[in-house]
Amino acid sequence: MLQDGITKHRWWIAMSAVALVLLVIAPYFLSPFHVRVGQQVLFAAGLALSWSILGGFAGYWSFGHTAFLGLGAFTASLSMSFLAALPPLLAFVVALALGSAACGLVAALLAYPILRLRGIYFAIAMLGVSQVLAELNNNLDFMKGSMGVMLPRIAPRSVDPAIYFYYLFLVATACTLVIGFAIKVGRIGYGLVAIREDEDTARMLGVPTERYKTMMFVLSAVLTGMFGVIYAWSLGYITTGSVYRTDFSLNMIVYSLLGGMGTLIGPIIGSFLMVVLTQVLLGKLLDVHMMFTGILLVAMVLLAPRGIVGFVRDFRERRRGRAS
Amino acid sequence: MSLILQTIADGLVLGGLYSLAAVGFSLIFGVMNVVNLSHGVLVLIGAYISYTLWHVFGLDPLLSIPLNMAALFAFGYVYQRGIIQLAVDRSSLLASMLVTFGIALVLRNVLVLVFSPDFKNVTPSYAFNSLTFAGITLDFVRISALGASLVLLTVLTAVLRWTAIGRVIRATAQQELAARLCGVDARHVYGLTFGVSAAFAGASGAILGIVVPFAPPDEAIWTINAFVVVTLGGVGSPAGALIGGLLLGLISTFTSQFIGPAFPNAMMFLILVLMLLIRPAGLLGNAFSGSR
Repeated sequence: MLQDGITKHRWWIAMSAVALVLLVIAPYFLSPFHVRVGQQVLFAAGLALSWSILGGFAGYWSFGHTAFLGLGAFTASLSMSFLAALPPLLAFVVALALGSAACGLVAALLAYPILRLRGIYFAIAMLGVSQVLAELNNNLDFMKGSMGVMLPRIAPRSVDPAIYFYYLFLVATACTLVIGFAIKVGRIGYGLVAIREDEDTARMLGVPTERYKTMMFVLSAVLTGMFGVIYAWSLGYITTGSVYRTDFSLNMIVYSLLGGMGTLIGPIIGSFLMVVLTQVLLGKLLDVHMMFTGILLVAMVLLAPRGIVGFVRDFRERRRGRAS
Repeated sequence: MSLILQTIADGLVLGGLYSLAAVGFSLIFGVMNVVNLSHGVLVLIGAYISYTLWHVFGLDPLLSIPLNMAALFAFGYVYQRGIIQLAVDRSSLLASMLVTFGIALVLRNVLVLVFSPDFKNVTPSYAFNSLTFAGITLDFVRISALGASLVLLTVLTAVLRWTAIGRVIRATAQQELAARLCGVDARHVYGLTFGVSAAFAGASGAILGIVVPFAPPDEAIWTINAFVVVTLGGVGSPAGALIGGLLLGLISTFTSQFIGPAFPNAMMFLILVLMLLIRPAGLLGNAFSGSR
């Protein structure tokens, strides 16, 4: 099925390869500020894609995915006290693995109770999970959430950290995209769509709904945790407030929704548009920033409920209908 | 012993406020399945209306409740007919939740621009009097807050149970199609329900203002509180909101008294998640339409 998927989507794959090449050479042509914006776009796109693996494909909208971002970041950061003897880069790789693994483990433990909830109840339960983790992180002393953790520099002296992390985020986001693609065109992808459209019927027809949901929940958590760790190192110093951020949870949803829910290109388009819009165009209007985001959110749901991808698809179908 | 009694009394007083702030949220959730994430901001708008009336005209916050309720009723009706209904029609219920979140962001920003992000509070003449009874100390404002909450909740129960409009709201909540077949204009009823919900949010805002200081970012806390209250007590009924609110008040005061002042929120969410897992319909569980 993966073979079929690759043949069927060869144009998309070719375009992604071109885009990747462009992104690799981009930092040589961009100003430092724009490299930083590019880094944020890649980070946002990676998070939105990780969220989409559960939220977009299976229709389980988590409102608290920042729980895994924070958990990954803090597990990795705290494990640094045992890894201090290693060279910084190797320590970072080990910490990255530990942080992601911790997210996977916690997600696997949470999966059984929490995935029984559906729709709004699942969304709010995840919001609750993220708040509990954030509060514990902030208030238990050994987690150092309120004091903060310093992280060592991993970029070599000769390289600008902004460019270094730009490439790290690029690699991570590209991996997430490949994983997302493999899932979407594979057997499991069809199972997830069936779960999204009608879970009870899917189950009746023999889709192993529980197993698929659990797998995707864990995978989504691991990927989110991975981005959390990279983000933590790109900041260099983290507290509870800098990684357990409710606006991250919200952004993952908004970017996916803006681009097109359940697609792979959607979250990427959505992240690009929103980050560029808010960072570059609205950077000087901080007072009304929130109002603008709110109005955009409302307008989006009312005018293009299936996102930009859905909008374009409708438009093309209408034109094709008229031509024939 | 008296510490425990004092904690219970404080918890119940706080719980009365939580109940009143949550009852509107519960009504909307029960009747039209919409999770209104802008509920907290409606509560704060109520608080700011009372603040302005008190500050400019010297009107007592408890006396400004009717004005508050009227203003927010009108706002709620227009808000539902103009925005929420459109979102529900064109998209999903989950997306309507995002719309309410967007509106909450807009309104919060407006509040910051109009009233500044600083904390405000309302201190009527009786603000610093208190009453001691059997070793328990209660502020006057808190007693009047609890009293007003109970009166308003009773009024809402009576309206829902015995008036024509209450009957229509309950019928629409149970089955929209059947209600429409009997000649009920369901959209009008949804608008009215939203109006009533917003009106009660406004009333709770007026009371909130005299009990605790408030600032625009608090709206998120009040929305989440409402959600926890509804999950604890059950959806759609004033009695459920009352029980859920009182329980939440007790949980929060007991946690901060006996575990640590930093933990009420963590405890609240822990209980929220546990409740969702064990008994998603709440203690008085009457989930109207299949909300699960």
